[in-house]
Amino acid sequence: MFSIIQTTLKGVFRDRVFQGIMALAVFFLFIPSAASLSMRQVTELSITLSLSLISILLFILALFLGATTIWKDIERRYTFSVLSLPLSRTTYLVGKFFGIALFMLLTALFLGTVSILVIKFSSVLYPPSRPILWSTIIVSIFFDALKYIIIVAVAMLLATVSTSFFLPIFGAISTFLAGTITQQVYEYLQSQSAQKAVSDVVRNAAKLFYYILPNLSGFDLKVHAIYSIPLNSSGLLLTIIYFFVYTGILLAIGSILFERREMK
Amino acid sequence: MSGLFWRPMFLLLVCLIGYVAVLGPFTSYMKHKPVEEKLGYVPSADLLRYSCADYKEVVGAALLMKVTMYFGGLMDKQADNIVSEKPDYLSMSNIIHSALKLDPYNMDGYYFAQSFLVWDVKKYVIANKLLDYGMKYRTWDWYLPFFAGFNNAFFLKDFNKAAEYYKRAGELSGDPLYLSLASRYMQKSGQTDLAIVYLSILENGEKNPAVKKKYQFRLAAFKEVRRIELARDRYKEKKGVLPASLDTLVLSGFLAPPPSDPYGGQFYIEADGKVVTTSMFSFTEAGNSKNKVGETDERH
Amino acid sequence: MNAIEITGLSKQFTGKHMIKIDALKGLNLNIAAGEIFGFLGPNGAGKSTTIKLVMGLLRPTSGAAQIMGLDVSRPESRYNVGYLPENPAFYDYLSAEEYITFVGTQFKMDSTLLEQRTEDVLIRLDLWDARKRPMRGYSKGMIQRVGLAQALVHDPEVYILDEPMSGLDPIGRALVKDIILDLKARGKSVFFSTHITDDVEKVCDRVGVIVKGTLVAVDRVESILRSGVEGYVIHLQATEAESLPFAGIEALRRTESVSEYYVPCSGFNAFMGEVNRTGTNVVLVEMKRRDLEDFFLSLVK
Repeated sequence: MFSIIQTTLKGVFRDRVFQGIMALAVFFLFIPSAASLSMRQVTELSITLSLSLISILLFILALFLGATTIWKDIERRYTFSVLSLPLSRTTYLVGKFFGIALFMLLTALFLGTVSILVIKFSSVLYPPSRPILWSTIIVSIFFDALKYIIIVAVAMLLATVSTSFFLPIFGAISTFLAGTITQQVYEYLQSQSAQKAVSDVVRNAAKLFYYILPNLSGFDLKVHAIYSIPLNSSGLLLTIIYFFVYTGILLAIGSILFERREMK
Repeated sequence: MSGLFWRPMFLLLVCLIGYVAVLGPFTSYMKHKPVEEKLGYVPSADLLRYSCADYKEVVGAALLMKVTMYFGGLMDKQADNIVSEKPDYLSMSNIIHSALKLDPYNMDGYYFAQSFLVWDVKKYVIANKLLDYGMKYRTWDWYLPFFAGFNNAFFLKDFNKAAEYYKRAGELSGDPLYLSLASRYMQKSGQTDLAIVYLSILENGEKNPAVKKKYQFRLAAFKEVRRIELARDRYKEKKGVLPASLDTLVLSGFLAPPPSDPYGGQFYIEADGKVVTTSMFSFTEAGNSKNKVGETDERH
Repeated sequence: MNAIEITGLSKQFTGKHMIKIDALKGLNLNIAAGEIFGFLGPNGAGKSTTIKLVMGLLRPTSGAAQIMGLDVSRPESRYNVGYLPENPAFYDYLSAEEYITFVGTQFKMDSTLLEQRTEDVLIRLDLWDARKRPMRGYSKGMIQRVGLAQALVHDPEVYILDEPMSGLDPIGRALVKDIILDLKARGKSVFFSTHITDDVEKVCDRVGVIVKGTLVAVDRVESILRSGVEGYVIHLQATEAESLPFAGIEALRRTESVSEYYVPCSGFNAFMGEVNRTGTNVVLVEMKRRDLEDFFLSLVK
């Protein structure tokens, strides 16, 4: 397992993915000047822009790495040589996942450090009205990374059954979009007005989706970070547990499917 | 590492149990996340416009959906008389403005903004500016000048402007009703009628159940006002003087059954005979005291 | 215990329009310990399918296979195997040395032993100078040699090599033959597929021929070679004038001093009897036989 993780990480680094991220991270340099356009809340805007930039970069990474890693191994015939080694396909899949997840966390750490410097810089130039809660910003970045690690798991699950990378890519994008609004839809459907307006079939289907799709809105703590709103620690604990069980389910199903896959 | 834990079936089973166990608490945690968090923060419209490339319309529509869903949820709570939290009208307004900057043709934005900006937040000028902005794009839409006319007549008392807007609404819709609306308001009793007509039109055309319900509440309230006004007029005709209070009307049998404000406020008759309510036709005011907080608004 | 045991192994693929294609039909085959087995067949005959089934890359439709007594559906069965895939490809961002180390780690090799063995196989396969470069810069022949190196590194009992000679130059082919013979000398079992009969003739103990998913023949190489003797070419020292027919057999060619005769097996004794009686000197006797290629072709047709 460890050597699969190590090999996956080596692959990601040697494909110059990290250099790509560093290049895109140049955008961070423009954040203070872009944020100064806001008259009243320069620091808040700096935080918003930094967190959003991290979010976008992690999303692209999650799609790119999650969807292509297994597909590439199959397409380039690496699977014949690797899966014929005395390791189970579960070990292979889970090892790959951990490798990518680790890379996502490392990237989040790197981008987080850069963004904290940027925010610090902005806050020195334009002191904010409310003190910045640094810990909240760090927690928010961490949960953002967790959110995208779920997307990696979704993409990898889809890649275990797909022969192309279209299903993983578009499946992961759809899951991401749906996952961010599923809570809102669920709450709307629970409401009285929806009881009348929406048919039972639609409501039950939506409920089913709510239970199947990942609930990603719980991982979005940007507002807390931007407006220095205190975090609900037991809620965060629940979110972390949710992350582990949901990712576990995805990986388990992915492994079961991948064990059955034919390497033609 | 190929121990029991990594057997996928075992992992699946453990995680499924965990998922079922955590889902309940997690859902309830998500439900009780503070409102502001749920509406979320939306970057400024200018920033959005450049960052969402070809997808301005979609992003705009998504933002509007976010606001209506948020508002729909709160309305239900209010209907259940669990007035848990005040809607965050400021954020709602900001998001709608952003959405309309992205897609100035999206009618939902204007209609929805009008539905809460004037009655609940009393931002008549902002509402009218938004409507003017919309009229530049939705040149065929008679609702927008109709709204603007109503705002000018009913709230801002700028009758010249109101007449102008109503004329435009009349031309666009081809319905002479709107042309006569402004002049009708000049009569003292016209105000309530005007609001009833306005609300009936809106209520009829509204598809969003939460907003529709909102109109129905307000319409019911105005119909009650109209009923009181009619009773008041009959009383004056008979007795020659205005009734001293609402109770006088009820006790003397002019008003039966006694009026009830769907917003939970108290109707009363002012010294000049004007019928008003402590709720100011809004749930947000219902809890406030009798002094007219709502009047410290933008009416000038 | 047999190195590889295959019983009733079948594989059906579902092609376009749900048509079932039999890639392998009820294969029964045992490879004894210490045996070098050549698996011959034309392209698309089911050689690679068989090997992928044995390596657990495909799941059999029916039947089973075991390696050193362990069922191939269990990953542990592969601890005893060194496998070279057909046209192999390896993580091209790794260097040969890194990849061999990665493979050795998967086989749970002790790190000092692994280091030693990595060095050995890299030198043996002439990859030592290139060992630090990423494999994306390697030639096809080098990749094939990396494939052999990673199959050899953990020194398993069984080797399954899919087309080990393909993509190699003559020096490389000689090297592979050398390696296989070396494994044979050390009592290892080798199962390799090829469509080149020459490879088989030189190194194999036994050979199996598969055509359209069915095993059509299994035999020892020597007996194929022996049964294939058809006659002899005999060179006699005789001038053109003296080159008479012997036992009714005419000379094929004549030079100034030597005449060349082709004698079928059945006429050999009579021919030689007459030659002896006339006292003619025999310069050369050459066995004329149907080779493996002909044997193979006759089965395929």
